[in-house]
Amino acid sequence: MTPAVWTRSLRKEFKLGWGRGRVLALEGLDLEVRRGEVFGLLGPNGSGKSTAMKMILGLLRPTSGRAEVCGCRAGTLAARRQIGFLPENPYFPVFLTGAELIRYYGKLSGMGGRGLEGRVQELLSLVRLGGEAGRRPLRTYSKGMLQRAGLAGALVSDPEIIMLDEPTAGVDPAGSREIRDLIRELKERGKTVIFSSHLLEQVEDVADRVIILHRGEKLREGRLDDLLTQTGEWQVRAKGLAEAQHRELRAWLIQRGAEVVQEGAPRERLEDYFLRSLPEKERR
Amino acid sequence: MREAWRRIRAVAANTFLEAVRQKVFAVLLVFALVLLGGANYFAEFSFQEQFKFLKDLGYATISLTGLLVGLLGAAQLIPAEIERRTILTALCRPLRRWEFVVGKYLGLASLLGVMLGIMGAVFWAVLRWKEAQLIGAEGQAVAQAIQAEARDPRLWQAFWLIAAKLLVVCGIAVFFSTLATSTTFVVAMTLMVYLIGHLQSVAREQWLESGEAAGWALQAFLAAVALLVPDFNLYGLIDEIVAGNAVDGRATLQVIAYSLAYLGVLLAASAWLFEGRDL
Amino acid sequence: MSRKLSLILGGLLLAGWGVIKLPWEIRMTRQQRQATVGFSGPTTVALREKLGQGMALAALGGFRGLAANALMLQAHGAWEEKQWVRVRSALEMATLLQPRVALFWDLASWHLAWNAAVAAEQYSREPSETRRRLEARKWVEAGRDLLERGTRAVPEKALLFQRLGDLYWQRLQDYGAAAACYREALRKPDAPPYLERFVGYALEKSGDREGALEYFRALRRSLGDPPDPARKPEIVDREIQRLKKELSEPPSKAGR
Repeated sequence: MTPAVWTRSLRKEFKLGWGRGRVLALEGLDLEVRRGEVFGLLGPNGSGKSTAMKMILGLLRPTSGRAEVCGCRAGTLAARRQIGFLPENPYFPVFLTGAELIRYYGKLSGMGGRGLEGRVQELLSLVRLGGEAGRRPLRTYSKGMLQRAGLAGALVSDPEIIMLDEPTAGVDPAGSREIRDLIRELKERGKTVIFSSHLLEQVEDVADRVIILHRGEKLREGRLDDLLTQTGEWQVRAKGLAEAQHRELRAWLIQRGAEVVQEGAPRERLEDYFLRSLPEKERR
Repeated sequence: MREAWRRIRAVAANTFLEAVRQKVFAVLLVFALVLLGGANYFAEFSFQEQFKFLKDLGYATISLTGLLVGLLGAAQLIPAEIERRTILTALCRPLRRWEFVVGKYLGLASLLGVMLGIMGAVFWAVLRWKEAQLIGAEGQAVAQAIQAEARDPRLWQAFWLIAAKLLVVCGIAVFFSTLATSTTFVVAMTLMVYLIGHLQSVAREQWLESGEAAGWALQAFLAAVALLVPDFNLYGLIDEIVAGNAVDGRATLQVIAYSLAYLGVLLAASAWLFEGRDL
Repeated sequence: MSRKLSLILGGLLLAGWGVIKLPWEIRMTRQQRQATVGFSGPTTVALREKLGQGMALAALGGFRGLAANALMLQAHGAWEEKQWVRVRSALEMATLLQPRVALFWDLASWHLAWNAAVAAEQYSREPSETRRRLEARKWVEAGRDLLERGTRAVPEKALLFQRLGDLYWQRLQDYGAAAACYREALRKPDAPPYLERFVGYALEKSGDREGALEYFRALRRSLGDPPDPARKPEIVDREIQRLKKELSEPPSKAGR
C-alpha cells in the first residue's frame, strides 16, 4: 500500500530579498508516514516542522525534492482532498459563526446540500460546539473553542490524513487531553494523523512514530518504543512491599551484579494529578 | 468546471458575508444622508444649477464611497488573510489558487454591486423628490424642463460607467494584493494607479508624439504608464451626461467592454502571480 | 508553477494587454473628442498650476464636476460680496475644468457682462462717468469673449448662441450681430421656437426694416399649412402687418 505521506530530499530555502541571502528552513528531508499511524514531527521552534507540513499541503513550493500524499504529488487537488489541516494558533474569519465556518470549509471541499448540513451538526456535537455555541460568532470564542472549531473544519470532509500543527499549544491541560483522546480515536477509525509539537510529553502519549528535526535537519526517526526504550535497564513497579523488603530486594539485585539506577516511590505526572484534582465534570 | 464554479461561489459568498458583517452598510447610511442633505443645499440657484450640483454630488458620492469600499475591501482580501493566516485553512482544501482569487473578487464585486444598487436607488429617489419640490416651487411652466433633468435616461449610462470604473479599480486592488504583503501597500498603489490613470491619455500622447526629443528615461516612464495603466479619462462621458450633452450609447458600451476586458486581464494576471506565491 | 515563472507570465500578460489596449484607447479617445469637439476636458499639467492642490487632486481624480461646482459656489459667494475679479477668476476656472457644461459659460457671461458691468457703471467712488462706462464696457467684452469661447466648446446647443445674441442686443446694442447669433442658435435641435421671431426683431432694431419684413414673410411661409400653433403664427402675422404699415405697403399683400 502506498504510504500516506512520502517525501524525498525535500528542501526549502527562503530568500530574504534585497541581497541579504537565503535561509535554509529544511534540508533534504526523507520521510515516510504509513497509513493508519500517528506520526509526530518533533523539534524546537524554527526546526522546520511547519515548513515541512506546508510543503506537504502545497502551501509552500519546495526548492527541491518531492513530496507525495497517498501516491499523488503534494499540492495537487487530489492530494489536498486527502488531507484535513489545522494550523498552529488558528485564526478564522471572525465574523462567521462556528457552524458557518465548518459549512464553508465543507463547501470548499466539494460538499453540499443536506449531506453537508448533517455533517456540520455531527461535528459540532463531536467537538462540543453544538447548540448556541455553534451560532455565536468566532470572535466570541475562547482559544480552546477556536481550536475545536478548527478541528471540526479539518474533519468536515472526512479526510484520510489529518495534519495538526501544534494542536495543543496554548490549550489548557483538560483541552490538551481531549485533543490527544481525539487523536487516538481517529487512529482507531483508521485515519492517519500527523502532528507537530514541541511539547514532548504530550507527543509521547499518542505517537506511534516520530521524527526529530533541528534547524531543518532530521536528527532521529523511528518508533517511540524503539527510540525511548533503554535496553540496558529493566523497570518494575510493585505494590504491597514493606520497607524491609525494599532493602532486601536492593541487596538481591546488587548481589547479582546489577546497578540500582533509581529506586523510590514512582511520581505521578503533574498533568494527571492536575486533572484528577478537578471536579468530575471539568475533567471532560 | 461546475465543481470549480461551486468552490468559487463558496469563496465569493463567504467574502460577501464577512464584508457585510463589517458594518459597511453604515457607510451606505452616511452616503444616503449626505445625498439627502445635499438635495436641500443650493436652493437659491436655478433649477438647472440645482440639478447639476445634485447630480455631480450624487455621482461623486457614489464614486468615492465605491472607491473606498473597493480599496479597503480588496486590500483585506489577500494580505490581511495572509497576515491572519486564515488563508492557510482555505488553501489547504482542494481549491485552486485562481478559484480563490476569482472567488474573492466576485465576493467583493457582489458587495459593491449591492451597495451601488442601494445608492443608485436612493439617488433616483432624491432626484424624483427634487423634481416634485422644484415643480411645486417653479410652477408648471417649466415642469417639462425639470422632469427632463430629473428623468434623463442617460443618467443610467453614467451609473453603469461608474460601476464599470469601480470594478476595474477593485481588479487593480486585487492584483496588487496578490503581490503585496501589507494592506497599506495595496491601498497606496491602487490609489496611485487610480490617479495616474486620469493622466494616462496625456502620457500616452506624449510618448507617441515625443519621438527622439525626450530622453530614454522619460520615454520609458511614459511607455510604462501608457501600456500598464488604464485610461480613466475614458469615463469622462459621465461629465458629459451630467452636463446634459448627448452621449452615444455605443460609446458607453465601448467603455464598459473595455472595462470588462481589462478586468479579465487583471484577474488572470492576479491568478498567475498568486500561483507561485509562498504562504 | 514557480514564483519566477508566475511573475514572468503575469508581467508578459500585462505587457501584451498593454499593446492590445493601446489602439483601442486611442480610438475611443478620438471618438470621444470628436463628439465633444475636442473639449473633453483639461488634461494638462497647466491645470494643476492654476488650481490649488486639493482642487487639482479632485479634478484629476475624476471628481472634476465637484471641483467645478465648488468654484461655482465660490463665484456665487464672491458675487454676493461684489468681488468681481474673484467672480471672474472662479468662473473661468470652472469653465476650464468643465468646458462642456453650457451652464457655466452662461452664468459666467451673465455675471461679467451684466452684473459686473452694471456694478462698474454705478461705482460711486469713480467720479468720471466716462471712466465708469469704459470699465463697464471691458466687463461686457470679457463676457462676450467668454461666451464666444463657450460656443466653440459646446457648439451643438442653442443656449450659448442665444445668450450671445442677447448680449449683443442688450449690452453692446449690436443688433446685426444679435440677429446672426439667433440664426446660428436656430440651427441647433434644441432651439426654442420663439427665437425665430427674435431674428426679425433684431433685424428691425438694426434699422433694416425691409429685411425684417422679408424675414417674417419667409418665416410665415415656413410655418406650414395649417401652421404649427407652437410657433405662434398669429404673432408673426401681427409683425408682418405692423411692418407693412410702417413701411406703407398696400394691405393686399398681407401674410404672403
